[in-house]
Amino acid sequence: MISLSDIPAHGGTPVTLGMGLFLAALATAPFWLESVGLYQYLGIEVAIWILFAMGFNLLFGYIGLHSFGHGAYLGVGAYAFGLFQQGVAVNLWGGLLAAILAAAVAGAIVAAFVSHRRGIYFALMSIAFGQVFWFCAIKLHWLTGGEDGLLGIPRPDLSLGFVSIPLDDNRALYWFVAVVVAVSVLALWRLVNAPFGRVLQAIRQNETRARFVGYNVWLIKWLTFVLSAAFAGLAGGLFAMAQESAYPDVMSLHQSGLIVMMVLVGGGLVSFWGPVLGVVLYFLARDFIGGITETWLLWFGLMFMLMVMTRPEGLAGLIHVVRRQLGHEAATRSEAPKTKEV
Amino acid sequence: MDLLLPHIVNGLTLGLLFAMIALGFTLIVGVMEIINLAHGSLFALGAYFAMAWIGGDWFGASEFGIWWASLPVGMRYASALIFGPLCAAAAGMVLELCVRRTYGKAPLYGLLLTFGAALVIEELIRISWGTGEQSLTVPQLINGAFLAGGMIFSKYKFFAAGFAALSIVCVWLFLEKTPYGAIIKAGSHDSEMVRALGYDLSRLRLLVFGLGAALAGLAGVVMAPIWGLRPHIGVDVIIPAFLIIVLGGVGSFWGAVIAAALVGLAVGITGAYAPAWSMLSMYLLLIAVVTFRARGLMGRKSALEN
Repeated sequence: MISLSDIPAHGGTPVTLGMGLFLAALATAPFWLESVGLYQYLGIEVAIWILFAMGFNLLFGYIGLHSFGHGAYLGVGAYAFGLFQQGVAVNLWGGLLAAILAAAVAGAIVAAFVSHRRGIYFALMSIAFGQVFWFCAIKLHWLTGGEDGLLGIPRPDLSLGFVSIPLDDNRALYWFVAVVVAVSVLALWRLVNAPFGRVLQAIRQNETRARFVGYNVWLIKWLTFVLSAAFAGLAGGLFAMAQESAYPDVMSLHQSGLIVMMVLVGGGLVSFWGPVLGVVLYFLARDFIGGITETWLLWFGLMFMLMVMTRPEGLAGLIHVVRRQLGHEAATRSEAPKTKEV
Repeated sequence: MDLLLPHIVNGLTLGLLFAMIALGFTLIVGVMEIINLAHGSLFALGAYFAMAWIGGDWFGASEFGIWWASLPVGMRYASALIFGPLCAAAAGMVLELCVRRTYGKAPLYGLLLTFGAALVIEELIRISWGTGEQSLTVPQLINGAFLAGGMIFSKYKFFAAGFAALSIVCVWLFLEKTPYGAIIKAGSHDSEMVRALGYDLSRLRLLVFGLGAALAGLAGVVMAPIWGLRPHIGVDVIIPAFLIIVLGGVGSFWGAVIAAALVGLAVGITGAYAPAWSMLSMYLLLIAVVTFRARGLMGRKSALEN
């Protein structure tokens, strides 16, 4: 088995092949999405879930806290955005800020309870808290609209002080989402390649040792949880804007499990870019297998089971292994003639 | 107090049924240290197979089908109590053959694998029996309601509670009084030692998984007439089972039973004051207890904490 720390660090410079490919794909998506048989809205959806998954991986892959209730913070963000638009003012920045803050506060409260738990106990507590949020979303009719959710959330204009751009069109919204996602991913990249990111991995590998070295493990875990929830909240705000609604479904155990699946299938445990692969694969599977058969989740579930059984490091782990093997073969091939000469 | 009494009775009944669901779960956790997220789906599978068995859908309008439908419901129901768990056990054993690959790795992988399995089973149920809500036929004898002390109780709920109590006692006797139980318990303490003593560990694990799944299926057949059958019932069931296991302490038999009674009571009593919110009470109970007692009421240290 390989782990995150086997993959060489890049010293924090964002100029890598992965980042280049990611930004290029993000920047060019609207131009080729339709010509390969997809549609504009998919781009928005994938970008939002990439943001959610990468923020989640900070918690899941980097510090090793296996949260199974993370959909809650996406949901809290979505509701906060919707309530801000409907109750306070139709304002893009205010709404997104409200989404981030609400999710971060929710995350901070939950993290205070769970961040000293480990292993399965953490997973179970995160499920319990996730269910509490989901339950509240369904039952607090006066606030959340119950099972139907908040409907008709407006898409506010993007105002930059001197100019105001309407985001009603899906293509315009995509550009906005893409910029937000790019900035967030750069920030995350900077974060995990800073000393802070190394501490996260140290805690995942051996919490006791990290504590003895002198790190305030509880605080770092708490902080990571809050950060991860804040990213989920931002994704939730964008999601509410894209869907023009917020509903309890995204907070269910099912959805929270799906994000874990996406991150794992992609290889979030071993790679920064793993979650991106996982999200893209999930949505492509949904659209392609879903186009062939109604029961696409069955096939996705089987694929996932097979993956956990044979390659728990996910797609990114597979790529890493293949690359290492190719590199190894190339190295032996170049050495082979030398030994012959001798 | 008079007002509260029926809710306490209802709560305890619910607690017994929860305990029955959680028992199979705790067996599997104890021996294999796998959190089986597909436990609820095995529950659903048992219930759906029992429903199909009682209805005799498979035989259609054939001669055998007509003869089958003419049999008394009681007989078909009683045999479904065996058939449903058997189907669940078979599915559980297939699942164990897959889960086998995650032994010795982080517990996360078992959790994820069984989550995938839950998804797959739920979809299979959807394909086989449709997405709508269905119900399971119950014999007349245990249907309806009866009056006691000026209050109305459901006959079936009492039958189900009695049945659950009986199966809890049977599982306890099996674990405490038979040599098989001794091996299972030893396996949950130190599986390497059991292997060293010459027992076939992989067969033991297969059988325990089968037994746990059968208990889930049995709980499914008993609960189906009360809760109704829908494809996603697995998720609704796995949550209480989870809560009970953590609340009681992972791997503890009596911990699970006591926790189930507590959860049942909490749901029952809050049901008296705020029916819409009664299910929330169990999460709050868990959070309250686990905040102060990290390993639950009667838990011991286990590999699942890593």
